This record gives sequence, structure tokens and C-alpha cells, in this order.
Amino acid sequence: MIPRAPAASVPWPRLTAVGLKTSPEQPAPVRQIANAIAGWIDQLGAVWVEGQVAQVNRRPGVQTVFMTLRDSVADISVPLTCSRTLFDSLNPPLVEGASVVVHGKPSYYANRGSLSLNVREIRMVGLGELLARLERRRQVLAAEGLFAPELKRSLPFLPQVVGLVTAPNSAAERDVVENARRRWPAVRFEVVYAAMQGPRSATEVMEALDRLERHPDVDVIVVARGGGSVEDLLPFSDEALLRAVHRMRTPVVSAIGHEPDQPLLDLVADVRASTPTDAAGLIVPDMAEELHGVTWARERIRALLTGLVDREQAGLDALRSRPALADPRSLLQTRVEEVHGLRERARRCLGHQLDRAADDIDHRRARARALSPLATLQRGYAVVQDAEGRVLNSVAGVRAGGAVQIRLADGRIDATTTSVSPATTTGTKTKTKTTAATSGEPDD
Amino acid sequence: MTEPQQLSYEQAREELIEVVRTLEQGGVTLEESLALWERGEALATACQQWLNGARTRLEQAIAVDDE
Repeated sequence: MIPRAPAASVPWPRLTAVGLKTSPEQPAPVRQIANAIAGWIDQLGAVWVEGQVAQVNRRPGVQTVFMTLRDSVADISVPLTCSRTLFDSLNPPLVEGASVVVHGKPSYYANRGSLSLNVREIRMVGLGELLARLERRRQVLAAEGLFAPELKRSLPFLPQVVGLVTAPNSAAERDVVENARRRWPAVRFEVVYAAMQGPRSATEVMEALDRLERHPDVDVIVVARGGGSVEDLLPFSDEALLRAVHRMRTPVVSAIGHEPDQPLLDLVADVRASTPTDAAGLIVPDMAEELHGVTWARERIRALLTGLVDREQAGLDALRSRPALADPRSLLQTRVEEVHGLRERARRCLGHQLDRAADDIDHRRARARALSPLATLQRGYAVVQDAEGRVLNSVAGVRAGGAVQIRLADGRIDATTTSVSPATTTGTKTKTKTTAATSGEPDD
Repeated sequence: MTEPQQLSYEQAREELIEVVRTLEQGGVTLEESLALWERGEALATACQQWLNGARTRLEQAIAVDDE
């Protein structure tokens, strides 16, 4: 498959063949030697060379791309130059580390005295072809939409059970499990072992994924292995595996190799972890950090809520301490005062009337007294009344032996009539004889 | 009129503020102001119950967490 280098068929020209004779006395100038070398080298035909691209130097604006091609075994290398057009036409692009077969002609650049193979054709071989195949597969699957960003599912914040597909007793398993435990001690793993290298690897990984997909509690799956060569990691670019991951409903984290390794699984997985350790950080939260956040948030909401209740309480207290509520008597106060005032007025009013009435009574009493017979009695007159209290103004009806009362100014005499003699026509007073018992009670 | 216990805290508080304002402005009959005052007392009690309940729940939550 690899073309044989036909270099051996070209005869090496002898330096003397160009007839250059030199001696310490007759040295040749640099230009002459350089031109001579250039001329000899130009006689060399194009050769096919196999090697590994160790370095690529493609400067913008420069029409020539400089590369270094290294022997795949010995520490020997040769510079390559090729046109930018040729270099850019390569699909997939040529990357450092790729194995290639180039068709080039040795060429001497006299200005610098540097030798390089001027390359007219570059073919990928071995790893180069491998990488090219992977690149083609990537393009096909990308065009199909397997890597679409909208297909990516987010990982659960706190998985119930983490499914782990890895090789038995591998460093990758330890890295994932230990680092995840450090972050979240309660994390649970369901580990399914599979060959993570070699021809059976892709199939076993698919079977493991299928088992974990059917596990009811597994809500995130990590596929982990350590770093390796492109060939070692080939199973993780296997098309059947990629399509299987694409169909998975459980989110898948790809944790293959080291940072620079990029199997296609990274693209179809929901999340790409650069290393198994990195995957541990992605699948479980850091408990200390989360606890810190929760504590902070809790303190904050408590302070907020306490503040709110306190403010409302203060507002309610203020309302309740307003006289209208705190002392409902204040509501009545004006009315009480009004009633009180009215009562006072009413009382005063009535008092005046009573006073006037009393004055009136006194006045009338004085007048009544002035009209009473008492004054006449004091002058020595007496009033005679019968037993029933009738004033006697005639002897008619008075019988001897009957009881009479004689009222004087300062008392009363109870008397018994001894005889009755009507007055003569001369008008002398009727004379009534009585026996009397005096009573000293004043007549009111 | 809705029973104060069936109002939300904010409803009860708003009505309480209104009751106090009306009472302070005067211009209502004695019977009305007595009714208003009784309403205000009931509203204030309802508000206090809300606040007490909130505070109790807060303290319980904190107590449970501090155990």
C-alpha cells in the first residue's frame, strides 16, 4: 500500500563531477559552493517518504507551509515545504502527530543553506487515515444532528444513583468514585464493568449502558476511562456506540482520557468531562459548598421574615395604641361630657325653680300668718270649739255637761260646760260656765 | 360583613386602618362608633393572631433546625 521510495534509483552525483577543484590557496566562495550544492540536489528526483508530522508552521499570508517530518522510529527528521493551496486542500486537515506519506523532491534553499523536501502530494496513512475516518464520521453524524446542542439533557442536581461504566480496578473508577464521595458522601454508584479497550469494548460498553438505562434509580451515567492513544480510544468513537448513546434517555457524561483526547463520544454525550475526576465534579454537588449556600439562604430568609413580622407587629401596635382603639372610653368622652353638662344645666335650672317656689311659700306663709287669729288671741280673746273642733259662735247647740275646747294664744284648755245661758236682748255676751283643764301646747 | 378571622392579614389590616381613621374623624353616631370600635377590636385581634401564628411557625422552624 505504501509506495516504495524510488530514491535509491537516482545516482548520487559526485562533488568532483562538476570539476570543482579547491585547496587552501584556492578556496571557493560561499555562493559558488551553495550554487553547486543546489545544482547537485536539484538533480535528485522526487521521492515518496513515510513519516510523522512533528511540527506544522502555517503563517497567514505566507504561500509556503513549513513542516517537520520525523521518522517513526529513529530520532531523525527532515523539513518539508508545501504550497499553502495543497496544505489547505487536505480533508481532514493535517494535524501534528499524523502519519503521512509524502511525495517530495529534495530542494536546497541557497539563501539560508537549508534543505527541505518540496512536497507535491500528501497522503494520510495509519493514524492519519484513522483520524481522517473519524473526522468523516464526525461530519456525517453532525449532519444527522446527533450532536445538536438542543438534544443535551441537563444532569440532575442530586442523582439518586450514578451509573458508572468503566474497566474493573481502573484508576478511572477510583477517580470518579472517590472524588464524588469527597464532594457528596451519600452518593450511590451502580458500577457496571466493561472492557474499555480492544475489539469487544464498544459492544460491552453498549451492554453496560443498556443495563444502566433499565435501572430505575440510575438518573445519570458516566462512561470513564483513563487516557490512551488514538487507537486505544477508538471504541469511544464507534458508530454503533454513538447511536446507542444518542438513543439513551438517561443523561450520559463522557469522561474519556485526558484533556486533549476527544473521542466522538464526547460530542454525542450530554456532558463532556475532560477527565474522570472532572466528571465527579459534574455529577454531584459539593456538599460543603451547598450547605454553606443553604445556611446563608436560610439565615437570610429568616432575617427577612422576622423583620417583616416585626414591622407588621410595630404597625399593629401603633394602630392599637391610638386612643380610638386603645381607650374606647375616649370615644364616649365627649358624649359623656356633653351629657354631664346637660345634666348640670338641668339641675341648675330645677334648683332655681325650687328656690323660687320656696321663696313663694315663705312669702305666702308670712301672709297667712299675718292673717291668723293668733294676734287677736294674744290680746286676751279666746276661741271656743266643740268636741268636733267646730268653732262656736253661738250658745245654741251647747249643752250643759258637754266638752268644749278653749284656745288661747299660748295653749288650749279642755273644759266641761256646767250651764248655758243665752244672752239678753241688750246684747250682752253669752256666758258659758266651764270647768277647764289647761294644756300648754302651743297652737301652730 | 366578613368575619375578621376569615380575612387575610392584609385585608384585616387595611380595614383596621380604615376603622381607626373613621373613628378619629368623628361624625358618626354613638351607635355606629361603638359598632366600629367593636369591629376594630375584632380586626386587631385577627391581625395579632396572624402575626402570632407567623412568629410561632418561624420559631418552630428555627428550633427544629437548631436541634
